[in-house]
Amino acid sequence: MSNSDITVDFEKRRQLEKILGADHISYCYQCGACVGDCPSARFDPSFNPRTIVLKALMGDIDELTGENSIIWHCSNCYNCYERCPQDVRPVEVIIALKNISSKSGKSEEGILTIAKRIKDTGRSVPIMGSIEKMREGLGLPPLAVIDCTDLSIILNPENKDKQK
Amino acid sequence: MDVGRHPNVTLLTYSEVENVSGYVGNFKVTVRKKARYVDENLCSACGDCVKVCPSITPDEYQQGLSSRRAIYIQYPQAVPSAYVIDMNTCLGTNPIACGKCSDVCEKHAIDYDMQDRLINLEIGTIIVATGMGVYDPTEIEEYGYGKYANVITSMEFERLICAGGPTEGHFVRPGDKKRPKRIGFIQCVGSRSKKYGSEYCSNICCMNTVKDTLLLRDHYPDTENYVFYMDIRAFGKGFEDMYMRSKEVGVKYIRGIPGEITNSSETGNLKVAVENTLTGQFEEYEFDMVVLSVGVKPQDDSHVIRKLLTLSKTSDGFLMEAHPKLKPVDAPTKGVFFAGCVESPKDIKDSVTQASAAAARAQILLNAGKVKIEAITSRIDTELCKKCGLCAGVCPYGAIKWSKGEIPTVIEAACAGCGCCGAECNFGAITMRHFTDHQIVAQIDAILEKEPMKKLVTFACNWCSYAGGDFAGISRLQYPVHCRLIRTMCSARVQEDFIIQAFMRGAPMVLVSGCHFADCHYINANRATVRRAQRLWDKMEKLGIRPERLQLEWISAAEGQKFAAVMRKLDEKRKDVNKAEVDYAIEVLKADMLKGDAKKAAMEKLKSPRVPEKTQLPPIPEGHHPFKCMSCGHVFTMPYDLKEEPFEWSCPLGECKSNSIRRLKG
Repeated sequence: MSNSDITVDFEKRRQLEKILGADHISYCYQCGACVGDCPSARFDPSFNPRTIVLKALMGDIDELTGENSIIWHCSNCYNCYERCPQDVRPVEVIIALKNISSKSGKSEEGILTIAKRIKDTGRSVPIMGSIEKMREGLGLPPLAVIDCTDLSIILNPENKDKQK
Repeated sequence: MDVGRHPNVTLLTYSEVENVSGYVGNFKVTVRKKARYVDENLCSACGDCVKVCPSITPDEYQQGLSSRRAIYIQYPQAVPSAYVIDMNTCLGTNPIACGKCSDVCEKHAIDYDMQDRLINLEIGTIIVATGMGVYDPTEIEEYGYGKYANVITSMEFERLICAGGPTEGHFVRPGDKKRPKRIGFIQCVGSRSKKYGSEYCSNICCMNTVKDTLLLRDHYPDTENYVFYMDIRAFGKGFEDMYMRSKEVGVKYIRGIPGEITNSSETGNLKVAVENTLTGQFEEYEFDMVVLSVGVKPQDDSHVIRKLLTLSKTSDGFLMEAHPKLKPVDAPTKGVFFAGCVESPKDIKDSVTQASAAAARAQILLNAGKVKIEAITSRIDTELCKKCGLCAGVCPYGAIKWSKGEIPTVIEAACAGCGCCGAECNFGAITMRHFTDHQIVAQIDAILEKEPMKKLVTFACNWCSYAGGDFAGISRLQYPVHCRLIRTMCSARVQEDFIIQAFMRGAPMVLVSGCHFADCHYINANRATVRRAQRLWDKMEKLGIRPERLQLEWISAAEGQKFAAVMRKLDEKRKDVNKAEVDYAIEVLKADMLKGDAKKAAMEKLKSPRVPEKTQLPPIPEGHHPFKCMSCGHVFTMPYDLKEEPFEWSCPLGECKSNSIRRLKG
């Protein structure tokens, strides 16, 4: 990236800054403390929360919110949230990006599967025979089926009217 | 040492200032000279006593890296060159308990019965040079300071590499006393951070680290040094040269703040995880020792001296100068000056520069033997005064002397002319020279003589808001023509009567404006402005006048933009005020002036055209207080204790940010 190529898309940046959690990005001074503390960056050199915030600052978020984006490599551990000296909350910037990405239907397939599972069953991990067996061995009761009516209202308030 | 020998300098070591009273040229200072239990005139510092003292304690001067006895000299060059007994660790003043030092002292210099002495001094000028403290990085868990033996602070490093240090100049690491070969320095520990330590740049740590790396390369050319930084601030004379020299001799500078340090329990070595932000690579380094370049902070007990001398501090905790550019060594209190890090973090050269300036500034006053003051001081009319003492209570300078049942007197040499006392006096007994009640009321009347509905009465303080208006003009900023400025020295001069007078003359809107809280040119006088505005808003609400017609804004001299924006906003608000409201306000304020039955009768006749609004209070969390923005009407809560002084409130809504914040009852 040569200097002459840099253009800042203020419109997109403002759009991002309006989302709660991503409203501190302008404080970032690119020290890299988030990367030093990031477990994902340690295993995946292409994942870098500092450059994600930098791109967010420049409004260059199309690629980040597109398909097969690097943002889904974030494990939401909040280490960077704790470490950041400027209170930029990189993880929340990434979550905001994830939300934008999801809204346009470009989130990872795996994520959608989990989301659908939570919506349908109230669990992120399905009830499986192997888990049931393990629980039985430990003397734990079998997992109950969760009533998802309240959850469905939280996810979509319109469902409340339907019930009435 | 030169100071100790100078015939014109009296050095009071091991002493504390207990009390300061008086004013420029006539300070009366009480100093507690603490008992050192060793007669400094007899002691020859031979050190016989130290050999026999059985009580051992960590040595503060060596950062706790070595120990000292209960009888000690803080460091070899200390003045006077005499021992002192630390009574917190001494086994006891009772000779039966120990008394070993007294036994061996040939000069009989040790006196367990020594008492603190109070010394009263008459002082002309005071220079405050109480220095600063150092940040303790224990709270940053990621770095493991205090947990890992070989993570040390830059202060400890300084002792370890010093010939007079605990290892006598043998540079070893604390973990296993071996000489470290690979050393990492981490910058900005406790500086430039919203989480840990302070938000400001500590000014000295970059160059200190550069110096340390050069020192290491000089003494131990086989060491490898790495510096982790976000910006190296080498801004002073010769500093950039030194930084370049450090790079030339092979010190590696890596731009990136480490996320974490991990310790190997076997070798005691440390692994530093960091992103090299210049290459974008995640890297790990192994070091024998890590030095945390710690920031500086104000002294923990700086509030003591602040109270004694009625000084104020800036938001970072350092003491505030009278003017950031034009009077950088003067305190707001006349006759008091600053030298060194008590005012801001600075290096040796800057401290010496400021100390020389402070000495010269003090000398000017002392040589003249008299002070010139501006003719705007306050004067108390002894016939009208009811001896209540309110004026003495609000004076930021303590320039009004009062004791119960007495008529207060103004010390004109100490008075700065803010007018806070004049506004506080309920009996009109205080005249502010050149800003008298009559003069200001005449200005209000003149402004509202013609077409009052089109006027926006604005009180602006001399230093910030008025200058802000000037700046708006110089910058050719456009704002409506309806505002009329009345200049006062401080917004604290604006007494409630002035605002009421404006409303009685038919003013639709009144704005009181002053300096931002941290910039108040009269220490903290504008806190009184906030108090008065709160009182008035409550009163207006009670009388049925829309409280939004009184607005409060803090505008600094550099905020011409804000001045113009405020004027534009208030002009829109002014248009919303209708004639019926204004007429009602005039009548009700007139009725309010009456007393007893007449007032009751007059009040009953009046009916406010305004339907009283019921403010819906949000749920108030513990320790919070409800507030309402008088500009946009936003109701919110924030942590606040009624006993606290108000701080600079502003509307949390991004678009509004108004300073007209009313504290609601609740």
